[in-house]
Amino acid sequence: MLWFGFGFGGFGSLRSGTEAALSAPQPVQHHGLDGETLTKAVPSWSYTAYVTDDGSLLLSGCIAGCPQQCVWFHHLDCQDVLPSEKYLLVLMKGRAECWDVAHLDCAGTVPEPLWKMELSDGHNAAFPLVDKGHVLLQPPFFRELGPSLQTQKMALGNEHVVLLTCDGKVLTWGAGRHGQLGHGDVEDVSAPRLVEALHGVTMSEVAAGGWHTVAVSESGDLYCWGWNESGQLGLPSKTLQVEHRPDCTIFSGFSSEDGPTGCDMDEDSEFIGIQAFPALIDLPQEIEAAKVSCGSRHTAAATRSGELFTWGWGKYGQLGHGDTKNLDQPKRVEFFLPE
Amino acid sequence: MQSSVWPQIRSLLPPSLEEFPHQLGPEVDGAIVVCVKEAAVCVYTCDLGRCGHLGEMIMDYSWEKLNGRNWRDVSRDWRIAYSYGCLFKVVGDCGELVLDKDKVLRVCDMSLLLGAEIMDNVISKIIQILGDPLTKDSVRTPKSTTVLTHRRQKRLRDTQENPVDVEPNGQIPEKIPRPLTPVLCADTTIPTVRCPSLEHFRHNYLIPQKAVILDGVIDHWPCMKKWSIEYIQKVAGCRTVPVELGSRYTDAEWSQSLMTVNEFIDNYILDQEPARRGYLAQHQLFEQIRELKEDISIPDYCCLGEGDEDEITINAWFGPAGTVSPLHQDPQQNFLAQIVGRKYLRLYPVSETERLYPFDSSLLHNTSQVDIDNPDTDQFPAFAQAAYQECILCPGQILFIPVKWWHYVKALDISFSVSFWWS
Repeated sequence: MLWFGFGFGGFGSLRSGTEAALSAPQPVQHHGLDGETLTKAVPSWSYTAYVTDDGSLLLSGCIAGCPQQCVWFHHLDCQDVLPSEKYLLVLMKGRAECWDVAHLDCAGTVPEPLWKMELSDGHNAAFPLVDKGHVLLQPPFFRELGPSLQTQKMALGNEHVVLLTCDGKVLTWGAGRHGQLGHGDVEDVSAPRLVEALHGVTMSEVAAGGWHTVAVSESGDLYCWGWNESGQLGLPSKTLQVEHRPDCTIFSGFSSEDGPTGCDMDEDSEFIGIQAFPALIDLPQEIEAAKVSCGSRHTAAATRSGELFTWGWGKYGQLGHGDTKNLDQPKRVEFFLPE
Repeated sequence: MQSSVWPQIRSLLPPSLEEFPHQLGPEVDGAIVVCVKEAAVCVYTCDLGRCGHLGEMIMDYSWEKLNGRNWRDVSRDWRIAYSYGCLFKVVGDCGELVLDKDKVLRVCDMSLLLGAEIMDNVISKIIQILGDPLTKDSVRTPKSTTVLTHRRQKRLRDTQENPVDVEPNGQIPEKIPRPLTPVLCADTTIPTVRCPSLEHFRHNYLIPQKAVILDGVIDHWPCMKKWSIEYIQKVAGCRTVPVELGSRYTDAEWSQSLMTVNEFIDNYILDQEPARRGYLAQHQLFEQIRELKEDISIPDYCCLGEGDEDEITINAWFGPAGTVSPLHQDPQQNFLAQIVGRKYLRLYPVSETERLYPFDSSLLHNTSQVDIDNPDTDQFPAFAQAAYQECILCPGQILFIPVKWWHYVKALDISFSVSFWWS
């Protein structure tokens, strides 16, 4: 299998080099890493965590204050990983641990964990779900979940949690001021609460960005809600309009009667800053979505036919379209199309 | 090749890398500390391009930390990190042969608005350096002229279709009718006193907590003669400020936006559209733009409070006729000084709170649910019985609003007010 990386790579987290923005997909290349054995690749901002099929963990990027590092932890029985700039949550056979990123060294010494938890033998819940609860990227690192919740999948936003139950319902809780909980307001919620607007639609996938949430239904429909600052919901974003204004003024001599009045700031109301209820987002030609994933302010969806669409913040090339523009509607990543 | 201001900017920075302070707080992520250190090295090896790129990276990453949470929960460590990012970005931009001053000023203002003070206020010093030649030629930036021209052309087309709008003198038609001046009843009118002594004010108004208008107190402030649209454009036109968009902050479609003072004046003061309202409200403009601070003073009566002078919060309120601050209360004593235009104010004492139906939510608990212009007497039956006082505040007057008194404010003209919150 080949693995590709794009977006912010200023510390050498995707391949060696100090180039901040990889705007088009490039094969991931690290010392000692073979695509055939790689099972997971999960990015943080300054480094990326890779898991291989023999249970090894590779961290590449800025480690222990040094950019361009490539640090291996061999034979950990590592199964999954959740990296962030402060903490690294590692799922191993029979246990989960939290490592303090500031105390890693470049030699690959397995650190004394800040927190750890023994897991039952048959444990196979989807990380960050673990026995009886879930891990999280800040103290206390573990939260219990009520036994009544039959959990299937979980996604962690910067300040909110999204849970998919076995029967396809979506629950959210945490900070709500960007509308990321989807309950129709901007209030915080302290306990799991059903996203009622999705009632009757069975979901099969969820993902969380920094302050937005995405869900895919069984029939391949895509729902987005939360912060639309860079167009990450695929809805018209004012930030993009303002960015395009200088281009528009060049054409100010032309009549804008027929076309869109790009630089006219009058129609403020058509922009969405915060979407507090789930919104159905169309991919071009009504293609059905299969999998979704989010960066802090961008979104990616893979379709059932294997195409990749991305939208949202693109300044560091994270949309993979070969440029650094923001997009407030889904666009296919042409790189991955067959020649 | 570097721009001509680079040597001046360079002279504001420590002479050697060893003396460059880059201690960041414990909240800041390690990789950002790495970026700050590397950017500092770039300053002293004159790799200004790389310095600017690192600065922008630091700004982008820290910005998410500043925007993610409620402002009061944002750590000062991250605000300092953000300001370092701004500084390095400015250094990078000054390293380019042709300096885009508007762009650099915008970055400096972002540091003042979102960041925290670093290196003995180096950002304000950079603004001063950029300011000197700037004030001469920046009454309008070329960009905003283009936009204005475009807008004028569009309006001309509109007016051909709709002859009602044609103004014979070619002036911008005032599309929003000015709010009618309310007729006040003598019983409810807030009293006016002329230059009371400190003791008189303390004894008759501050201690008993009574509203009063002070006349003649600010006649000598330079702003009373100097401030006009043209003057504000000249002193502050290129500066970036936060603007509230929407009729009132309780509306669902209300939002805030950052824009230059010129953009604000062009789009919301000179060119008023009923559908769109902008208000430069509750902003500490005088901390940001020192030239304007020289035009005002702190009312002497503030010394009757227990706080130090530097604990007084001074806010600017600048907007077109018709801006509204819904009925709300503030946690400090308030002097509202009216500099330009008139404002209608209605005040309710703290004792009337129950009749004013404050919102339940944590964000709006200091705001009444009642729309003063159109009160819903079914939903809020006790509101009609609430006792109030009112006034039309004219240029040169100061209104004393006692702590936690409820107040509703509506501008009757293009208005500029300055508020002083003190304790």
